[in-house]
Amino acid sequence: MSGAPPQGLARTASGAGLWPSVSRRRRAGNWVFWALCLVALALVITPTLWMVAGIIGRAASHFKFSVLWTSTNNLTGGLRQPILGTVVITFAAIIIGGVISILTGLYLSEFSRHRGERSILRGGYEVLAGIPSIVLGYVGYVALVVDLHWGFGLLPAALVMTVLVIPYVTKATETSLAQVPTGYREGAEALGMSTSYTLRKIVLKAAVPGIVTGALVAIAIAIGETAPLIYTASFSDLAPSLHLTHQALPYLTYLVYFFSSLVQPVNSANILANDAALVLLVLVLVLIIIGRLIAARARRHAES
Amino acid sequence: MSTAADPASSPEASAERTASIAPTVTAAAQQPYDDSAVALSAVDLTLSFGQHTILSNITADIRRGAVTALIGPTGSGKTTLLRTFNRMNDKVSGYRHDGDVLIDGRSIWHPGLELTSLRRRVGMLFQRPNPFPMSILDNVVAGVRAHKMAGKPAMKSIAEQHLTEVGLWAAVKDRLKDSPFRLSGGQQQLLCLARALAIQPDVLLLDEPTSSLDPNATESIEALVRTLVPDITVVIVTHNLAQAVRIADRTIFLNKGRLVEHGPTKQLFENPAEEETANYVGGRFG
Repeated sequence: MSGAPPQGLARTASGAGLWPSVSRRRRAGNWVFWALCLVALALVITPTLWMVAGIIGRAASHFKFSVLWTSTNNLTGGLRQPILGTVVITFAAIIIGGVISILTGLYLSEFSRHRGERSILRGGYEVLAGIPSIVLGYVGYVALVVDLHWGFGLLPAALVMTVLVIPYVTKATETSLAQVPTGYREGAEALGMSTSYTLRKIVLKAAVPGIVTGALVAIAIAIGETAPLIYTASFSDLAPSLHLTHQALPYLTYLVYFFSSLVQPVNSANILANDAALVLLVLVLVLIIIGRLIAARARRHAES
Repeated sequence: MSTAADPASSPEASAERTASIAPTVTAAAQQPYDDSAVALSAVDLTLSFGQHTILSNITADIRRGAVTALIGPTGSGKTTLLRTFNRMNDKVSGYRHDGDVLIDGRSIWHPGLELTSLRRRVGMLFQRPNPFPMSILDNVVAGVRAHKMAGKPAMKSIAEQHLTEVGLWAAVKDRLKDSPFRLSGGQQQLLCLARALAIQPDVLLLDEPTSSLDPNATESIEALVRTLVPDITVVIVTHNLAQAVRIADRTIFLNKGRLVEHGPTKQLFENPAEEETANYVGGRFG
């Protein structure tokens, strides 16, 4: 091509003869693959949206913000105690479980020198992740509530939830530590930083986004759990207190599980169940947003 | 290994030759050889990882205040030797060594010498720039902070001093809080150099520091390395023979884990004592 013809022209003029056109088969293949991806995406998104819309729709007609701080009284009233119960149980579980998990993940990824040892430990927490939560609940019931004579209460509930969150946070910690580039560690070593300083200031810092994301998934799962809590916290309309044992306590999922299955005419219980579902949804959403913000802040100086 | 003994054999001659190739050559290179002119020395060093012997009976004195290049084909052990000088190999599985490496006449494995203080004195720059995931400013002072060498208020001026030293200040002074990963590869390497210089090392180990950089960046790193001597002793591993000729006062040629020849760069390239060296620098193998 000499001179400078308009670009569109140049392209068609030089493109036509030089390049073989894309075969029909490949074009069809591209199209089918693209369509399959789109269908898969729709399969994921549609039920989610449908569910969210359902929850909002059922609660919206009667939702009042006062339900958040109104006291629960048997099957009626507000959600004050169950919200507190869910928050306290989950918070306790993620604090205890988080510390154990991060230390376990650190050990697996930084200190363990034997491949065999690592794979046994890793197998251990992966099995833990596969145990149905109702089984964990039952074990908690037998071991803590009955054998240790703790009765239903915050402590057994929080401990069972701790066991539930540990696999998620440990996995997240281990993988995000393993993904910290060797260059960071070598750079820190070469500057004469001690092992603990390197871990605290360089390696863990770089792993924070991954750990936080894992912890949030764990929290979201814990918030939504019902079965282990029925076995260990039972249910009551008492707010959580410093009585760690021998005091059953309420949580949101119980309302959804039990109240929504009640048949009319206990309309007030159904209403409360719908409100509880909405509050759970919003809680999880807020947590995810907070997690994203933390991760984004931790990643502001990261590569790529 | 007849020529391995190095400068002790003909100190004046080597000093003269070195002086003639590089106008910037150091005062140290012109002094008669004595102990204080040796920054590091490997003494009959043999090193292996498991069944593989990587270095065999290496004996070499690294001259203080000079640039020493380690050259040799892939797998000759030059990077392993470099990494031994600040004990970066110790944790590799199956690592074992015989012989010794002395810094100021004392073993680097001496129990009384803390690893962290050894590495503070013997800094290192890697093949690929490896800034930390923190702001540019924090990167420069990361080592200073770790060793509590200065208080908080002094950090910015320390950063400015060392960024200026490596010629990066003008480019980054308005974005000290930014991520270092937005800098070009060459700038990142300069930042890593500033970070290494900020803790005031005596010796700087460079592991092919320009192999991932473009020619311009390579040139600025090379020019900088020449300004570091004689205050700092530099040991550089390079695949690029021309680079060794350009910046090194002395060159060590390694092959298959043995030290073949060690001498003034010009002599080693133009008038090598060993046939093996002649073959390598003449491009006949490696």
